[in-house]
Amino acid sequence: MKKVLMGNEAVAYSLFINGVNVAVGYPGTPSTEVIETLKNFHDDDFYVEWSTNEKVALEIAAGASLAGARTVATMKQVGLNVAADPLLSLSVVGVEGGLIVFVADDPGPHSSQTEQDTRNFARFCNLPVFDPSSPEEAFELIKPAFEISEKYKIPVLFRMTTRVCHSNQSIEFELKREKRKIKGFEKKPDWVILPALSYIKHMELEQKLQDMKKELSAYNRIEGRGKIGIVTGGVSYFYVKEAIKGFEDLFSILKITVAHPLDEGFILEFAKDKEMLIFIEELDPVLEEEVKLILFENGKFIPIYGKRNSYVQFAGELDVDKVRDIFYKVLSDKRFLKKNTFGDVLQIPKRQAQLCAGCPHRSSFLIVKYAAKGQDVIFTGDIGCYTLGFAKPISTTDTCLCMGASITMAQGFKIADGSKKVIAFIGDSTFFHSGITGLVNSYYNRHNITVCILDNLTTGMTGFQPHPGTGKKIYGEEGRKVSIESLVKGIGIEKILVIDPYSDFTENVDKVREFLNNDQLGVIVFRRECANLKSRESYFKINQNCLKCRVCLKVTGCPAIDEDENGNIFIDSALCNSCGLCKNFCRYSAIEKVMVK
Amino acid sequence: MNDIIIAGIGGQGNILLSRVVCQLFMNKGFDVKSAENIGMSQRGGSVVSYIRAGDDVGPIVPDGKADILIGLEMSEAARNVNKVNKDSLIVLNDRFVRPKNSDLKKQQILRFFEENFPKLNIINAHDIAFKLNMPKAENITMLTLICKEEILPFSKEEILIALKQVLSPKMYEMNKILVEKIYERY
Ligand code: SF4
Ligand code: SF4
Repeated sequence: MKKVLMGNEAVAYSLFINGVNVAVGYPGTPSTEVIETLKNFHDDDFYVEWSTNEKVALEIAAGASLAGARTVATMKQVGLNVAADPLLSLSVVGVEGGLIVFVADDPGPHSSQTEQDTRNFARFCNLPVFDPSSPEEAFELIKPAFEISEKYKIPVLFRMTTRVCHSNQSIEFELKREKRKIKGFEKKPDWVILPALSYIKHMELEQKLQDMKKELSAYNRIEGRGKIGIVTGGVSYFYVKEAIKGFEDLFSILKITVAHPLDEGFILEFAKDKEMLIFIEELDPVLEEEVKLILFENGKFIPIYGKRNSYVQFAGELDVDKVRDIFYKVLSDKRFLKKNTFGDVLQIPKRQAQLCAGCPHRSSFLIVKYAAKGQDVIFTGDIGCYTLGFAKPISTTDTCLCMGASITMAQGFKIADGSKKVIAFIGDSTFFHSGITGLVNSYYNRHNITVCILDNLTTGMTGFQPHPGTGKKIYGEEGRKVSIESLVKGIGIEKILVIDPYSDFTENVDKVREFLNNDQLGVIVFRRECANLKSRESYFKINQNCLKCRVCLKVTGCPAIDEDENGNIFIDSALCNSCGLCKNFCRYSAIEKVMVK
Repeated sequence: MNDIIIAGIGGQGNILLSRVVCQLFMNKGFDVKSAENIGMSQRGGSVVSYIRAGDDVGPIVPDGKADILIGLEMSEAARNVNKVNKDSLIVLNDRFVRPKNSDLKKQQILRFFEENFPKLNIINAHDIAFKLNMPKAENITMLTLICKEEILPFSKEEILIALKQVLSPKMYEMNKILVEKIYERY
């Protein structure tokens, strides 16, 4: 059959076809759709779950692999940092059933804190890394990735970038699953990593890498015979192809699909008759550095243009136009100058991402903000939709670092700047991911902070995945629900308050103000389901009482409220999610509810 | 070679629309590729999808190359004019959601498009979707109107086939009624 598949979906289809038995991951853009798609497949030897975090996921995959199952652990690039601990050990210990670590990098970045390059992780961990250029190629490479993993008994990194993960392509395939028998766990001393063994296994790992070079090189290829060599990989390959259209004779392309380890012979073969090499790659200069090293070691010196001499940008993503600019810069050839466009005619200001209309977090932030008015407060934030609490006019998030850091950084502030009150915000999924250990630390070490858990009963940012606090498993079937309140109590924290951010605003502010009064360690759970999970029964509108004071607009910053050219305030009925928050701030009873018929 | 841009804001169903358009082209025998910016799309930010039919191309449409620009929201369409040229076909939804902290006006944007693009079409998908009590289906409303007015060469039947291929059965039933109603009434 032929189907349009997103890169991540193509990976999922191929994983299933190639007999994956266990698929685990933690959601994170742009990796999420691999598990989201896999969950639509069913088979008696196939298991899929959302795990509590990436380290948990990879360790589950490791266990299943040692028992002989084909497994995949999925995550985004920052998730790999969380899973770095098991990954580095696993590269030494080795695997049994094929184990793919699927990692989505985010050049740009479009929705991440970092632009880190997973190909560097491959060098760091001594692991092979596949780097497909398109959904179709990703589809085809899953099979060899499993085979290499099984043949050499090591995990294989499968790295894609946003433009491959989230691009779609029509792909022709047959949906037929390869059935494999899981042989079960066999006890061996190999699986217990003691220092003495680790040393031996490290040497083995280095050897494995040498051994697999030639075989992996078959996935890289040379195109064209021009004297100008272009080394590229990932989605940049297509930018190059398009940029040189019409001038193909000038160039030859080395398309690198397995970025590590590289086979010296193949690289030298390509470089042999080139006048220069241009490196077109996103993120870190991984190919540039590796190829340079090979050339240097073999006494070959040719001009090189890339990131290290500022011909190619270090940060952000590339596209056809940028690649064309690079060729113009290197070759001073006017044919690569780009045409004029409408560029400067109309300047459209950047559209800031906002908490959705009706988002319960908007109300929670404002409740805390009002309750803390007049006090000197530091607000620490975390990763999720609610990072947007930093945006005006909410402005109730002063820091954001990584998953779980709101709670721990708050303690750092308390130690260093104790005169201030410190309030940490964290979402429900993030709390389970890596907030718990921080909270345990604050109890143990007597750090008196306030932790607000913004519980919207889902993982909102990545598209509503379940987690331990929802109690639902990946198919919506019953798991066991972990109660945030019992967990907090179990640590020993006694001061707990649960609030519905949609209920009476003034009353909530009073409750929170009182809660903040004494400076003890305490947890407030704001609980209300994400506005996108509920179908809408009503919306709000502005009536003729409106005196255009703009208070509703200025205080809430709700994207559904705006003013027109004549200064008339209106609520966009298509956007309003009917939370009723704005109504609290109108002194003229000008905001009223309209029921949807 | 057909390069299409769909621009809008989060929550308008841009990505789903781009899926359906891909499917429509594929059903006509094209090999398609597409890409979109998602992530913050739920949160009212800018969303743009690129759809490309052709070999050996990357997912992003180069500047000036798009043949068609579909704007679900006008200022987002304007944001992406770098991708089109004066011969491109422009289809705008009559919908303006002002980027906060700007004094941009709807008239300003309309005038810009009128002055620069001879092939401009304005479509009232927002109002019609709202009247049909499906405010969240602005995307499919837009597509249906575009095809009904023969701006894009797809029949009602072809739209329904593509919708069936892309949507869940429940979503398909809802959208089918929408498409039928639009063909009957507008
Ligand atoms: S307009 Fe008012 S009621 Fe509607 S979502 Fe925004 S704050 Fe809530
Ligand atoms: S707060 Fe009330 S009176 Fe003031 S602008 Fe908003 S609706 Fe109008």
